[in-house]
Formats: sequence, structure tokens, C-alpha cells
Amino acid sequence: MGTFFHRNRGLTPYLLLLPGVLWLSLFFLVPLGFLGYQSLQSGIYPNFEFTWEFSNFSDAFSNYHEQLFRSFLYAGIATAVCLVLAYPLVYWIAFRAGPWRNLFLLAIVAPFFVTYLVRTLAWLNILADQGPVVELLRDIHVLGEDGRLLATTFAVVSGIAYNFFPFMALPIYVSLEQIDERMLEAAKDLYASSTQAFLRVTLPLSAPGIVAGTLLTFIPAAGDFINAALLGTPKQSMVGNVIQAKFLESLDYPTAASLSFILMGIILVGLLVYARVVGAERLTG
Amino acid sequence: MTALAEPARSSRLGLGSRAWRFAKLHALTVYALAVVVYLMLPIAVVILFSFNAPKGRFNYVWQGFTLDNWVNWNSILGIQDAVVTSLEVGLLATVVATVLGTLIAMAIVRHHFVGRSTTNLIVFLPMSTPEIVLGASLLTLFLNTTAVFQLGFVTIFIAHVMFIVSFVVVTVKARLIGFDRHLEEAAMDLGANELTTFRKVTLPLIAPAMLAASLLGFALSIDDFVITYLNSGSTQTFPIFVWGAARVSVPPQINVVASAIFLIAIALALGNVFWEYRSARRTQGAT
Amino acid sequence: MNPRLTRQELLRRGAAGGALLAFPSLLAACGGGGGDESSGELKDVLNFANWELYIDTKKPTTLQQFTEQTGIKVNYYEDIDDNATYFAKVQGPLRQGQGIDRDIFIFTDNSRFPSLLIDQGWVQQIDKSLIPNMSNLIDAQAHPPFDPDRDYSLPWFSGMTGIAWNKKLTKPVTTMEQFFTDPSLKGKVSMLLELADSVGLTMLSNGDDPTTVTSETFDKAMSTIGDAVDSGQIRKFYGNSYTGPLANGDLAAAIAWSGDVKQLQADNPDLEWSLPESGGMIWTDNMLIPTGGSVPTASTYMNFVYDPDIAAQIALGAPYISSVNGVKEAAEKIDPAAADNPYIFPSEETLSNVYQYDSAALNNDDFITTWQGVTGQ
Repeated sequence: MGTFFHRNRGLTPYLLLLPGVLWLSLFFLVPLGFLGYQSLQSGIYPNFEFTWEFSNFSDAFSNYHEQLFRSFLYAGIATAVCLVLAYPLVYWIAFRAGPWRNLFLLAIVAPFFVTYLVRTLAWLNILADQGPVVELLRDIHVLGEDGRLLATTFAVVSGIAYNFFPFMALPIYVSLEQIDERMLEAAKDLYASSTQAFLRVTLPLSAPGIVAGTLLTFIPAAGDFINAALLGTPKQSMVGNVIQAKFLESLDYPTAASLSFILMGIILVGLLVYARVVGAERLTG
Repeated sequence: MTALAEPARSSRLGLGSRAWRFAKLHALTVYALAVVVYLMLPIAVVILFSFNAPKGRFNYVWQGFTLDNWVNWNSILGIQDAVVTSLEVGLLATVVATVLGTLIAMAIVRHHFVGRSTTNLIVFLPMSTPEIVLGASLLTLFLNTTAVFQLGFVTIFIAHVMFIVSFVVVTVKARLIGFDRHLEEAAMDLGANELTTFRKVTLPLIAPAMLAASLLGFALSIDDFVITYLNSGSTQTFPIFVWGAARVSVPPQINVVASAIFLIAIALALGNVFWEYRSARRTQGAT
Repeated sequence: MNPRLTRQELLRRGAAGGALLAFPSLLAACGGGGGDESSGELKDVLNFANWELYIDTKKPTTLQQFTEQTGIKVNYYEDIDDNATYFAKVQGPLRQGQGIDRDIFIFTDNSRFPSLLIDQGWVQQIDKSLIPNMSNLIDAQAHPPFDPDRDYSLPWFSGMTGIAWNKKLTKPVTTMEQFFTDPSLKGKVSMLLELADSVGLTMLSNGDDPTTVTSETFDKAMSTIGDAVDSGQIRKFYGNSYTGPLANGDLAAAIAWSGDVKQLQADNPDLEWSLPESGGMIWTDNMLIPTGGSVPTASTYMNFVYDPDIAAQIALGAPYISSVNGVKEAAEKIDPAAADNPYIFPSEETLSNVYQYDSAALNNDDFITTWQGVTGQ
């Protein structure tokens, strides 16, 4: 065996790659092909036929552009919310938390250890119309007498933000942690104001973390359907809800497949643009 | 007037700016702690309601403390099977994905070969594809090859390995990049062949990264809903069970299982934090 | 007595239909204490998929009594939230000729699924020889259009669709117009995912006839519902799972099934239910045996629940309308006030105000697609 590896050094990387790449090809790339095949079929359940039905795409887009737009809008807002919540927190952890650092990092990932659906259901409890939070907000007149939090855009977006928060916080933390504190001292000496030092040194140095965090939050958020399903109404329905329902409830596979492609296509195009702007190496690592 | 006002203002400013700085310092702390509270709130609710004793069908309102849900956690039909399935899928998929992913990472970091950037892309793409699309495309594969694949345990396993592999590659790759090749070269110079070198030198060095990767993989697997939901047929993992129950009424036993998973994970993580702290102190003491 | 009945024999005999009722020995083989009699296919576990709030829960429950009598343990799953989603869930394996680990499941006659399942051959014939109590089936239910001779199905319950409301949160909701437009209900009402229920009620309130649906009346109903969705009046479309939000006060009113509310009062005593003034819908849920399910086991259970005494206990626990003759008398023996329970024994007046959705319109693809669009699917 040993000599085999020695003699065939050129082959070694391919042998190492073979099982994993085969798996990814068979169960990621090939399925995409099947998805394409399904997206060009016509007919209704249970009889579908492959007919190069390109109109599936235009139909899907014109029927569900609202949900598509909403998905990207919600994902965008949730990503921004995550950034605003996460940055100060991880900044504080990285520079101010001292010996408690790891404990607070653990607090950031803690929600991950509670099953996704269960923690979303917990928000259902917390935001309930007759629950203490809503009652308090009504008492202090933030909400009207009939006001509610559940089944609103607010609930859906904050649910998404909550669920993907660690994806934003961790990469930013990693990039902040790598900053040499002496550099900050030097910057403060140079710029005198700490705001200036932050804007000119800390922020640029943490940019890779922000880039990674934004992507890691935005992409899954755009495809999410659980938050809209549990915390929203049909008016908050996202493209994920449509795809899910078409596949699993109304059994309209061609529409579901073409919508999946549209979603993926938009994200990939967005990624390419993003990669151009921030540099490709930062994306693939 | 101006002459009088000037010094007063400047001293007030000095005081004010000091106060402002003080407030700013604490504002950040308060803000950070508030975000932590926000992160912890649902978790607290989940754990709290695992001890609730609901009178009717619904576990919405606090009605009294009980330990019954914990003692009889598996008294709900199907919940135990679902938890067992989740654990089985999680373990199997993690082991397989960790091996596959580590091999890919080694190839990418250690070797220059034709197709390296394509490989990078194939690894990166699944991570940048929304789960719903990953799940949906796999489902179309399974739907169109029903002679080979029937939705169930096997298809869940296949799906989980697929989405864990990329995360393993990324985690192990990070470790391998910062890895001192001289150690291996030294071993080879001393006469060890490639396999022995791998077993005695490389493996022990990347083992922590593999462990980290597999913990991450296991966490991803046990929590996955979207991809599993599309590809599970009538087999139930714990998240699928929760989804079914959420449509009817969520029994407190679901909170019990979720709390148990959470507490075990936190205990492991705290143990790790403590261990790192101790070994850091030890190395400090040594130097 | 033939202790070793093979599956084929049983099926053949089942196919022979009513003639089998003449062979009482067969009935004895599997009817009563069949559990220890190994008939090859009779299992000692029955997997039963049902809807939420649809069976008695007072101990000893009828399920426990069944186990006591027959030795067959029942795994009772509240699997079904709405017809379409449950069908979508089980169709994959059924299509491949595989079982779904259930011996009985339940579909509603006002959905297209009972007839679809029978046409596709995804359900098995019941073994009438094992169901002598089938003679208790009321005449009105003996010949439904999707299964004219009841070869595949037996009714579980019938029920009515009306409006439930929480009297702490709203004044009584007695008309669909109020339901759709009352500003105090904005964002606090839900409709059912079931097309026939939601559309039927809306048609009645539009002054149209849900028993003969035209694309005109359908579109009119769609625009009524669509407007209410767009205005934010309708919070959500639910399957059976409207019960949770209704009980905890997230909903002030919901389109709801007649028997659920009584049971929900354990969680929330402020809930009320009634038919809208313009009339309600009526439907029947049917037990069916999916491919892979054990016909003898399922049939044994069906026979059990067609005993009026058992049917009465189930109806008293989940107040819906039974299709079993003699339930009223049996119920009165248990609870003298039962005869006045309007959910179990609706008055003539009530029954004259409920309608069955046009079964010819159930398979209309355009209607189905439009409805999916409106409900956010």
C-alpha cells in the first residue's frame, strides 16, 4: 500500500477526493439535474410528462413574484437586524468581556442547541395575543387595544433574525478576535477619537467577518419557510412556503421545481455580484 | 457675560464628556447583555414549560409545576422512535461525512492537482444553496428513481451526509492550513512510509479538528428539519415529530426532549471551555 | 371453524361481499377473541391514523375496551390535519405499492381523496364477513357516490362546519358577513384549508348554492375570501390545528367543526359554536384501509365501533354525528341528557340548514389551483 501511494503520487489527491466528491455529485449535482428535468414537465398529479415546458418558469415567476420579492426583502431586513444586534455584542465580547469571553460565546450558540422548531414554537408562546409580552405592550400603549405581535411581518422577520443570529455573530467575532489590540492603541494615538479609530481600523479589519456573516445569514433566510408558516399569515408567505406546499401538499412538482430554480438562480447571481465586489477568495475561503 | 459663561461651559463639557464616555462604555455593556437576554428568552421558556402541568391539551399557559413530563418523557406515542431515529441518523451520517470531508480537505490543502478549484466549488455550492432547494432537488431524484430509493431512513441518511460534508471540509481545512508540514517530513525522513506517517503524525494532529467537525455535523443533523421533511417519507426524526405535533398540540414532552438535548450540549461545551482554560493555564505555568 | 385463514382466502371472501354474512363460523373465527387465534394476517397491533379531537378520552376508553376484548393493542395517531396534506404525505409509498404503517386512515367525503384512493387502488376492500355490525349502518350512508356499495369504506363520523368564537374576545359571530368584514375581528379569524368547508360557507353567505357549483359562483366565493385575506381580516388557513390558537385566544373566531369546540372548552370555557345564519356545511369522514394495512385487524376494529354501545361512548366523548343505528338509545343509557345534545343529534331544523358540497366539483383542477393560491400555498 505504502509503495503504491509513493509510486502514484499524482493519483493520491484523486483517490482522496473520490468518495466525497462522488457523494456530492450523486446527491447534489445529479439531483439538480433531476430538478431541472422535473421543472420542464407538464401535467397534473399523478401524471407528469416531460415536454420542455419552459412556460413553467414564466408562470411560476408571474404567479409567485410577490412571495419571491418578500423572501428577499425579509431576508434582507433580518440580516440587517442580525448585524445591528450582533456587532456590538461580539465587539463587547471580544474586547470587554475579559475572562467571561467563552461563556458569552456559548450564549451566542446556545439557541442552536434547542431544536429549530422548538425554539420557534417558543416565540409563538412568548408573542401570544393573550400573553404577558403583548399585554405589557398594550398597557404602555406601544400596541393598540387590538394590537398584536403574532401573525405579523414583525413576528416573521424577528423569528428569522433570531434563528440565524449565530451565523452572523460567529464570523464577525472570529475576525474581531484576530485584531491585534496594540494596533487599536496605535490607531487611537493617531486618530485621537475612538470613533475614528473604530471607523478606520476596527471596522475595516472586521469586514471579512461581516461579509461571511451576511451571506451565511441571508442565504438560509431567503429560503426559510418555518418562520412564515408558524409566526405569519398568508400575507407573509415566502417563496419557501410555496415550494414546500407545492411539493408536499398540492403535489405540483413542476411548479415547485421551477420555483426552486428561480430562487437558486437569483441567489447565485447575487453571489457572483457580491463576489465581484468583495473578492472571490473571501467567499470560498 | 461670555467671559463668565466660557469657563463654566468648558468645565461642564469636560464633566459631560466624561459622563458621556462613561455612559457609552456602559451602554455597550447594557446593549450586549440585553442581546444575550433576547437570545436566552426562548430557551428559558422551552425549559420552563417542560415542567408545566397543562390541564387541557395545550401547553401554552403556566398551570403548575410537575416532574411527570421528565419522568414519562416517552409516554407520547412515537416520540421515542423519533428521538432514536434522530440519534441513529445523526451518528451514522456524522461518521461517514467526517471521513469523506476530511479526505477532501486533505486533498485540497495538501495537493495541487487539475480540478482543484472545481472541487472547491462543488464543496462550496451546497453551503450556498438554500436548504429548501437542496431538499427539493434530492426529492426529485428520489421520486424519479423509486425503483432504487424509497423515502425513509436511507434517504434521510443520504441527505444528511450530503449537507454535512461541506461543513466538515471547511472545518478540517482551516486546521490543516495552519499545520506544520515539517513534522511529517521529519517522520518520513526517519523512515516512516506515508500511511504510518498519516497514522502516527497527521491523524493525531487533525483529530481535534475532526472532532469539532463531527460535533458540528451531529448538531446540524439532529436539528435539520427542511431537508429531512422533504425526504423522510413516513419515517420520523425528532424535528419531524415536532412539526407534526405543532399542528395538533405540542405536549410538554417535546420541551423535555429539546431541553435535554440543550442541556447535554451545553454541558459538553462547558466541559470543553473548562478544559481549554485548564490546559491554557498549564501551558502558561510551563513557560 | 377454520383456524388458519390465509390472507387470500380472507380477501376472496371479502370480495364475495354480503353472501358471506351467511357463514357465521367465519365471523366467530375472527370477530371476538381473534387475537390469540392466529389467522395469519390478524395482527396484535392496530395502527390507526385519525384527526385531532375525534375520539373519547374518558377511561376506560373505547380503545382500551377494544384491547381488552380482542387482545389487539391500538396505536392511535393524530396524524391528520387536513385531507390534502395528509394525502400528499402518504401518496408516495402508496403509489409504489408500499404500506404506510397504518391499518386505518380517515378521509372526508367532501374532498376528492376517497374516490381518488379507491380509483388508484391504494386502499383495500374491507372484510364485510368480519363486520356483522355493518347492518347497523344507517340507510342514508349506505350508498355514497365514491363507494356505492361500501366495499372500501365505513363512516367514522359526520359533522357540520360553522363558526366558533371566543365570547371573551368578541360578540357572537353569527353571519359570514360579520366574519369577513367586522373590523373588531380584523386579523383574529381563521378559515379552514378544506376547500369544501370554506368555499361552501362563503357561497351560502353569497346567496349561492354549494350543492351545485359553477365557475361563476366559485369565482365569487374566491373574491370574497381573497378580499378578506388582502384586507388582513383572515389571519390564517388551518387544518384541524385551528384548535390551539382558538383555545389560547390568538383567534377570536374560526371556521370550525361542530364537535371540536365542546372538547376545547376544557382548555377554554369561553368558546361557542354555531351555524351561520345563511347555513352550514355537512360532511362525513370515512375509515379506509390503506395498502399494506391488515384487513382483518382493521375490519375487526370497524365491527367493534359499529356496536351501538361503543359508538355511543365515542360520540359522547367527541360530540359528532354517528352513522350507527341505535346510538341514541345507547347514549341515553349512559347519559339521559345525551339525546338533547345538538352536536350528536342535531334537530330537523338544524339539518335543514346544512348542505353537502357539490361532489362533481371536487376534482376540478382549476378550482383546486385557485384555492391553493388564495390560501397561500
